[in-house]
Amino acid sequence: MKKLLAFTLVIGMLLSLVTISSLAADEVVKPDKIIMMVDATVVTSINGRDQFEARWEELTGIDLEIIQPDHDAYYDVMQQQIASGDWPDVLILSSTVYSSYAAEGVLWDMTDAWNNSATKNSGRFIGDSVIDGLKINGSLYGFAPARGNGCLTYIKQAWLDKVGLGAPTNYEEFLAVCDAFVSQDPNGTGANDTYALAAAGFIGFEAPFVNYLPNFYQDAYPFFIQQEDGTWVDGFTQPAMQGALERLADAYAKGYIDPTTLTNGTKDCRNKFYDETTGIFTYWAGTWGTNLKVNLEANGHDGQLVALPPIAEVDAYYDRVPPVWAITTACENPEGVFKYFIDTMLDGGDMQMLWTYGVEGTHWSRAEETILDVPYAAGQFHMLESLEKAGTAYTKNHIDPMLSLAAFAEGYENPMELTVKPEAKLSSQVFNSHSKLAKIVPTTEVMSMYNGDLTTLKNELVAKVAMGEMTFDEAMAKFETDGGLAWSNAIVDSLNALN
Amino acid sequence: MENAPPTNIKIPKKPLSIRLLKYKWFYLMFIPVLAFVIVFYYTPMVGIRYSFTKYNLIRDPVFVGLDQFKRLFSMPNFWSAFYNTLKLSIVKLLLNTGMAVVLSLLLHEMVNLKTKKLAQTIIYLPHFLSWVVAASVFQLLLSPTTAGLFNQVLLKLGIIDKGIYFLGKSSWWTPTYYVINIWKDTGWGTVIFMAALSAIDPGVYEAASIDGAGRWQKMWHITLPALAATILTVLILNLAKVMNLFESAFVLQNDAVMDKAQVLQTYIYYQTFNSGGIPDYGYTTAVGLFKSIVGMILVLVCNYASKKVRGRGIV
Repeated sequence: MKKLLAFTLVIGMLLSLVTISSLAADEVVKPDKIIMMVDATVVTSINGRDQFEARWEELTGIDLEIIQPDHDAYYDVMQQQIASGDWPDVLILSSTVYSSYAAEGVLWDMTDAWNNSATKNSGRFIGDSVIDGLKINGSLYGFAPARGNGCLTYIKQAWLDKVGLGAPTNYEEFLAVCDAFVSQDPNGTGANDTYALAAAGFIGFEAPFVNYLPNFYQDAYPFFIQQEDGTWVDGFTQPAMQGALERLADAYAKGYIDPTTLTNGTKDCRNKFYDETTGIFTYWAGTWGTNLKVNLEANGHDGQLVALPPIAEVDAYYDRVPPVWAITTACENPEGVFKYFIDTMLDGGDMQMLWTYGVEGTHWSRAEETILDVPYAAGQFHMLESLEKAGTAYTKNHIDPMLSLAAFAEGYENPMELTVKPEAKLSSQVFNSHSKLAKIVPTTEVMSMYNGDLTTLKNELVAKVAMGEMTFDEAMAKFETDGGLAWSNAIVDSLNALN
Repeated sequence: MENAPPTNIKIPKKPLSIRLLKYKWFYLMFIPVLAFVIVFYYTPMVGIRYSFTKYNLIRDPVFVGLDQFKRLFSMPNFWSAFYNTLKLSIVKLLLNTGMAVVLSLLLHEMVNLKTKKLAQTIIYLPHFLSWVVAASVFQLLLSPTTAGLFNQVLLKLGIIDKGIYFLGKSSWWTPTYYVINIWKDTGWGTVIFMAALSAIDPGVYEAASIDGAGRWQKMWHITLPALAATILTVLILNLAKVMNLFESAFVLQNDAVMDKAQVLQTYIYYQTFNSGGIPDYGYTTAVGLFKSIVGMILVLVCNYASKKVRGRGIV
């Protein structure tokens, strides 16, 4: 009798748990309409946004309203929209704006929703570390369907062959390659007209600031970093910065670094790489591996590139914090928007296909046809010709297949192998195997107050030391006298106060 | 004496309604201008109130009194930008005006009309290039590498033994900035002076020639005095705009020269977009308001100077 009673109780408890959980699941009401604000990382109007919207609505049964300002004006328009009080339900944000808006209470805390989400528990999701990196003081306010990607160093194989050196594995070997690229006429013009490398400035405009010159910065980082014990420091004031700036100054003085690095844009650097002025280029992993090769060949040069694993002193390349999808606190049904918008993005099926490759018949097809002079058999996946740029084919929609944080479901055809070129794949593999996530830096009121002046001062000092106009000690003295150290300490204190 | 014209005659003013009716078409035509001025010039001034608040576009503005001004007066970068704004603008103004006068005088002396027109067209052209394009062109021309034409010429002539980074070295940036500005704007600046020169009565020159005056004497005693009022007006009008320096400094500045190239408008820009968080629009509005007040003071000073020198003001 006791056993029967115990058995009945257990069954009863289990049933009640199932009922409670099913009730909880049922509590999420499907929204009638979702207003989304996004930049041009989702197909634009001219590229078939209406078809994307129609397909998304077909898959969810929800009315989707898309607000998509011009890509370059996105953050201006978005901030005006927020200021007007007319907030969208869901929007895409860069890492900087994400942490600021989270601190200001603009974003809905999706920690619980994420922990119980289908995506996280799908068994296909491989981005737990990325999502953890998006947490601010343990809370998650945004979701990234893909990694942020980063830069790795490419070296021209033909130049290495010409100077008789292999791919460098440490800084000493890297300098030897730089020296040979400057002194041994690797482009064969007979003139002293080469530099080892060029970069768009000595310090980047956004995190991770060191990604164009990782081989010189190595373990130094000029922005705020959280140490293993959880305390914050300003990397600019740490001992490693001296070594980094002296390495930059040394390489610049020896002519390894293009003298116009200070005023270069990224396009200038690419052009110098294509026209054989430079032989080393630290640039984006993945698709750019193919782009660099194609452009070198288009300029009549050997396109074979070494996608260099980080040299010993670098340890790992920085994987930048990806842009995130966030739900605003003005959203009336955030659980519903999470479930039907965010949690479906990587469903492993039709919706993931839509976000990754776009709409069948508009952006991709399996029909028997010839696209841009390439014939395709019936059933063979292929991307279609761009509606905006005739003569080029689409490569993806919002999610880069090489950076996606979830695989397609078993049995669902993943066309990545058919769409990604081998160089891009190799570059991506090298980067993925040797990268570490850049961390979100929370925003504080003190940071908003001083960081503009502080960044201007830091950038000036880095440039002046690198170009030999100042020694490191002189730079640090100026840093102190101009108020930089005081601002830096105030920001560090404000960050540590968050702990 | 009875036929002497009466003085101090007071013409009775017609009622406003009659005057309005009489000039109704003028007033009607003025309405769009008035609407434009109200909408685009006066309405935005409501935003001045934010300079007394902390405001990040998300939370409601919080009144902080004069705190934003105390903060900006305590920031060394602000004062550096303020100094640079005045220095770059005023020197640029003097150089550009001086060069425009010299160029106008030279053009005025040209006899062959076709050559004169061609010269005018060539010197006007740079004005129509955007600053972004001009900056790109000069970055290439002044590059310290083999791509830099100017450095290559200096090297070939043996004047230098190593390329100079004109736009990347603090010591070279300021003079280079002035030269680029002269190149870009001097030609256009000659338009007003050429108009003033063409208004000088040729009879005065003829009379001077008959009196034995040479070309230099005519220029010194006729042309320049005739131009003086125009020069002063141009200087005064442009002095009122010196605080608005932005585009030319923004496109030519870089990290290494910020101590020389940061001006108030670019300072506001970097405070807004380089803060690493949501900018405090109260602070940037305070900087903007301070800039406007200084600009207004300059206009009033200029107006006073104009009254003293010319006998009439400009506003």
